[in-house]
Formats: sequence, structure tokens, C-alpha cells
Amino acid sequence: MNKDARRIWEKPWSYTEGFIVAGGIALTGLLLQLLLGNIRPADFRSPVNTTVGALLVAGLLCCHFLLRDNHVVRWLSGARSTVPAMLVVLLSIVILGLTPQFTIHEPQEHLPNNIFSRMGWYRMTTSWAFVLLCFYILVILGLTVLRKTRKSQSWRLIGFYLNHLGLFFALGGGLLGSGDMQRYTMTVVEGNTEWRAHDALGNLKELPVAIELDTFIIEEYPPKLVVIDNRTGKILPVNRPGSYMFEGLGKPTQLNGNTIEVLEYIPQAAVVRDSAFTSVVPMLMDGAATALKVRVTNPSLKAPVEGWVSNGSYLFPYQVLYIDETSSVAMPVQEVKKYTSQVTVFTEAGHRKKANIEVNKPLSIEDWIIYQYSYDEKMGKYSKTSVFELVRDPWLPVVYTGIFMLLAGALFLFIAGPKKNRKS
Amino acid sequence: MTWDHFIFFAIPSVLLWTVASAWALRRPKKTLPALFTVLGLGVFFSFILGMWISLERPPLRTMGETRLWYSFFLPVAGLITYQRWGYKWILSFSTILSAVFIVVNIAKPDIHNKVLMPALQSPWFAPHVIIYMFSYAILGAVTLVALYYLFREEKLQDKERIMDMTDNLVYVGVAFVTMGMLMGAIWAKEAWGHYWSWDPKETWAAATWLGYLVYIHYRLLKTSKNKTSMTILLLAFMLLQVCWYGVNYLPSARGRSVHTYSVR
Repeated sequence: MNKDARRIWEKPWSYTEGFIVAGGIALTGLLLQLLLGNIRPADFRSPVNTTVGALLVAGLLCCHFLLRDNHVVRWLSGARSTVPAMLVVLLSIVILGLTPQFTIHEPQEHLPNNIFSRMGWYRMTTSWAFVLLCFYILVILGLTVLRKTRKSQSWRLIGFYLNHLGLFFALGGGLLGSGDMQRYTMTVVEGNTEWRAHDALGNLKELPVAIELDTFIIEEYPPKLVVIDNRTGKILPVNRPGSYMFEGLGKPTQLNGNTIEVLEYIPQAAVVRDSAFTSVVPMLMDGAATALKVRVTNPSLKAPVEGWVSNGSYLFPYQVLYIDETSSVAMPVQEVKKYTSQVTVFTEAGHRKKANIEVNKPLSIEDWIIYQYSYDEKMGKYSKTSVFELVRDPWLPVVYTGIFMLLAGALFLFIAGPKKNRKS
Repeated sequence: MTWDHFIFFAIPSVLLWTVASAWALRRPKKTLPALFTVLGLGVFFSFILGMWISLERPPLRTMGETRLWYSFFLPVAGLITYQRWGYKWILSFSTILSAVFIVVNIAKPDIHNKVLMPALQSPWFAPHVIIYMFSYAILGAVTLVALYYLFREEKLQDKERIMDMTDNLVYVGVAFVTMGMLMGAIWAKEAWGHYWSWDPKETWAAATWLGYLVYIHYRLLKTSKNKTSMTILLLAFMLLQVCWYGVNYLPSARGRSVHTYSVR
């Protein structure tokens, strides 16, 4: 082997140059970071991003057609540049995974004041080094694909093209598109129509989309019972907290050594306490709480303990049942099963759509997607307010093209497997 | 069906898989090992199905539940590998690994309840997690092959055969990791408004994916060294561990990940 005789920067380039180039790009990014601070995606909104994208593609095509025999271009379209580039990107992703991340909208004072902060590690995805490395990966991907078009084509290359072009589109679209992405939250009260929304910085903006909230409905899971420590309030047993989801009357259950039986269930109750006793009566009104009457027995109790347990509401306080000096039965806040906003959405262009918006069931209208985001949590299931997130991402089709190409490419990889006998 | 019944399904399954493994090691015919593996899988899956019905949601939410699928998919992956490439030891491998996870689940079962928060109520939930568990099973098997190679390199006769085998398995594993990850991205767009948010789980998923891609690209060159290739696989599997459950313990990720579903 005469490999050892080759000096750095001598043709053909290998892994060493790969690490130097990738490291150099990271270092350049670091210098830009120290000089300019983080990249603000908004500075790259259209037409800046489209220009950058067009220049990138044009540059790649020029390299491919005009510098086809240049050894650097050839090196950039092979594994010797790819592997070091991947490792350097991997390293920055590991750093990103190990350091707490802050959004670009959080004020600089919230970030830890140290050297890593100035190096952009706490906002890795908008740091110069990270973004430049992503572009370097795009360059390698582009040149690799172009170079492959010169080789003799075979069915096996379908997988290659799907995977590499797919990643080029998904990564490129995501990178360039982040400048054009718009996200707002809009709070709407039942019966009202709203078109003003807040951006991430809290600025109010009028949108070309208006939402009329017809009704907002919350469905909850059945109430649960737990046994808690009177002193700490922690659910017992501490090492494996137990709970019982109410399934109907007459089914005793075991919790932390107690046998608990539900005697009465009032889904909508008024829980009124005075100094002497608690009275619980049905109340079919907003603000009613869930209440369960339970009987608790355990070997150390002389007589069973009986009484009401409730998780309260914005009107009524919660109610626990003391078993003994150390523990009580309590009812945690019920978990939300589903929340639905029945809405009518209007756009400036004159479109109108009636729909139910839920988590995982957003509504698309023109180039906006409207998501169920939140509600008035203080009011719980009686919330008359629904919060939506409105997202506009004009580059989504580019990214999705990439994602679906990659999905097909993965399927191809599974079926075709690796190329055989490459080493012989 | 509750967690208390698990042992009555787990033991017969492991026994059936053990018979299949022993048979595969001694006899060249593939029919009987396949039959016994499938029977074991049937018994095991009936427990999963029972849990599914009694929980009224797919059992995919907690760590214990994903371990359940992992134990199921290890023999599946083993069987596919055995049928496709005929490695006779793979069934023993997958059985032992699966048994380890079964023991963990018997010793430390999760708290199970029916709650499935709105973000998880999606048709993407089952395929996203199941495909990931399948890929983890394959990549777990690859890791053991890599360890075996690294410890016994001097004594090995047919190194190229082992390298071919890891290539085969890594390609299958990476194919499934890619599918799981991208389905996650499409789901995230539907549930959270963006396909990629660099949430800690996503970050480590990207790191894992990239780790295995490094292996694939490194292996493309004739100059690649077997030892380095196998070491890359070990490092990639460590990234996978961080992604799977390590993020739950990372100080940088605590309380920040939207991927935490084990409610207490």
C-alpha cells in the first residue's frame, strides 16, 4: 500500500482532508457566531431564501458541468468527504442533545452566561456552524447525485436516487423554508369571531384568516382514586404509585393495602363544606365537580371509613377522605380525553369552512393549517375559550416531496439490501 | 387481561422459541424452527391483544409497553433473518434477548391505565412505535454480532461472511429507523404543527440515524477496516439507547421533551 506515502492535500483527497474541511467549516461558523450572533430565520425569508436556494442549485450544476474532472468536486461526491462531514454533524447534534436548548425568541439574559453561550451551543439549530454544516451536507448530497448520473444506470440506483435526492429536498426545504414559516396562536371565546393572533414574541397581528368558535367541548376520562400521604401529598406506595379508574359501582379495588369500594357517583355535584360536615348534592350547572362516595377498610381499622371524595372545580374546593393519621383517599384532576372546537373559518379571499378541530385533526384552509392548541385550563372542562395555533409553511410541499422519496427509498433499502461482493 | 397474566403467556412463548432455537442449531431444515417460533409469537401476541382490548387503547405508551413489543419483535426479526439468510444461531440470539426484556417486564411492570392523551390519539401512533421497535430489535441483534466479532476477531475463520451479515442487518434496521422517524415527522406536523422541532427525542433520533448512516457510508470503501466498522455499530447503538430511554434521564432534556407519556 502506498497510502502512507500520500501527504495531506496531495491528490486524491481522503478522510484527513474531510475532517479538515468539515472542521474548517465549523470553525468559520464559530467565528461568524462570535461576530454576528445567532442567525435569525426571519432574515432569510423570501426572497432571500429562494435566492440562496437558486444559487446553491446553480452552483452545484456549474461544478458538475464545468469542473467535472476537478479532483475536489470528485472528492466531494464520494464517501471520503461524506463520512467526516457526517461525523462532524453528528458531533454537533450530540452537543445539541446534551445542552439545554433555548428558542431564538427567548431573551439572551435567560441563557447561561458562559463561553458555550457565545459559541451558540444553547441555540444550536440557528447557530452559524450548524447551519453552514447543513449546507455543506447539501453540497455533498447534490454533487453525489449529479455524479451518479454519469455512471451506467441500473435498477439498483432507484434506491440511491430516492434516498439522496429525498434528503436533499427534505433538508434543503426545511433549512430554507424556516425563514418563511409563520406560527401564531389565536384565542377565541365561544360565540365570537377572531382574526388577531400573537406571534412567538407576543406581538399582536391581524391575519387573513378569521375563526368563529361555535362551541368548545371537553371530554374527560372517568375519575380516578388514589391513596396519598397526608404529610407529603405524594401518591402511595411511593415506589409504584397506584391508582384506580372508576368503572362502576360495586367493584371493590385494592390501593396501598386498603379495600376501597365506591358507593355513590355524582358526575356533577355541588360540594359544600362547613365546619361540621360536608354535603354533596347533584348540581346540573357549570362549575359542578365530580364526587365519589367511598368506603375504605383495612386490617388496622376498627370500623370502615366512609365519605365523599372530589377533585373540585373552579367553584368548589377538592375533598379528600382521611383513612387514618397517615393517609387519605383523594381524586386527582381528571385527564382530558378529547377536546373539540366546532368552528367556522373565513379567509380574506372569501373561502368559508365549517369544521371540528381537535388535537391530531387540524384544519387546512388555503395555505394555513389551524391546530387545536389549548384552552382555559383554570376553567377546565367548563372552558368557554379555545386556543388555536395557525401555521403557514409555504415550503412544506418541498419537504414532503423529500420525506415521501425517503420513505420509498427506505422501502427499497429493505427489499434490495446492500450491494453484494463489493470487496471482492 | 392485566399485567398479572403476563407470566402465563411469557413462559410458554420463551419455551417455544427455545425449542425452535435448539432445532435450528442442530438441523438444517427451516420448517420446524419457523413453526415453533410462529407458535410462540402467537401466544405472546395474544397477551398483547388482550392488553389492547382491556386497556381500550394500543399498549404502546409506557416504557414497559414498548418493552413488550420489543420482546415480540426480536423473534420476528430473528425469524425473518433466519428465513432470508439462513443464519442458524440467530434464533438463539433473539430468544435470549427477548427473554431478558421479558424478565425486566416481570420484575418491574409499569403502571397501566387506560389514559391516552389527545396527542397520542392518531392513526400514526401504532405504526410509528411498532416500526421503531422492530428496527431496535434488528439493530440490537447487529450490536451483538459486532461484539462477537470484536471479541473473537483473531479466531474467526470467515470474517467476510460476518461483515456481509452485519451489512444485511444494518440495511434492514436503517430502512425501518428511517420509516419510523419520517412517520413520526408526518405525525408531528399533524399533532404539533411542525414536522421537526429538535425536541430531545427527535435530536437523539437524528443522531442515531446518522450513526448508522456513517457505518453504511464507511463500508462503501474498499479500504474500510472491519474493526472500525464494528466499533461504529457499537457507538451508534449507544446513541440509540439515549434516544430510546436515555432522554428520560438527561438533565438537558428533563421537563422539555414533548415525548414523555409515562404519567404518574
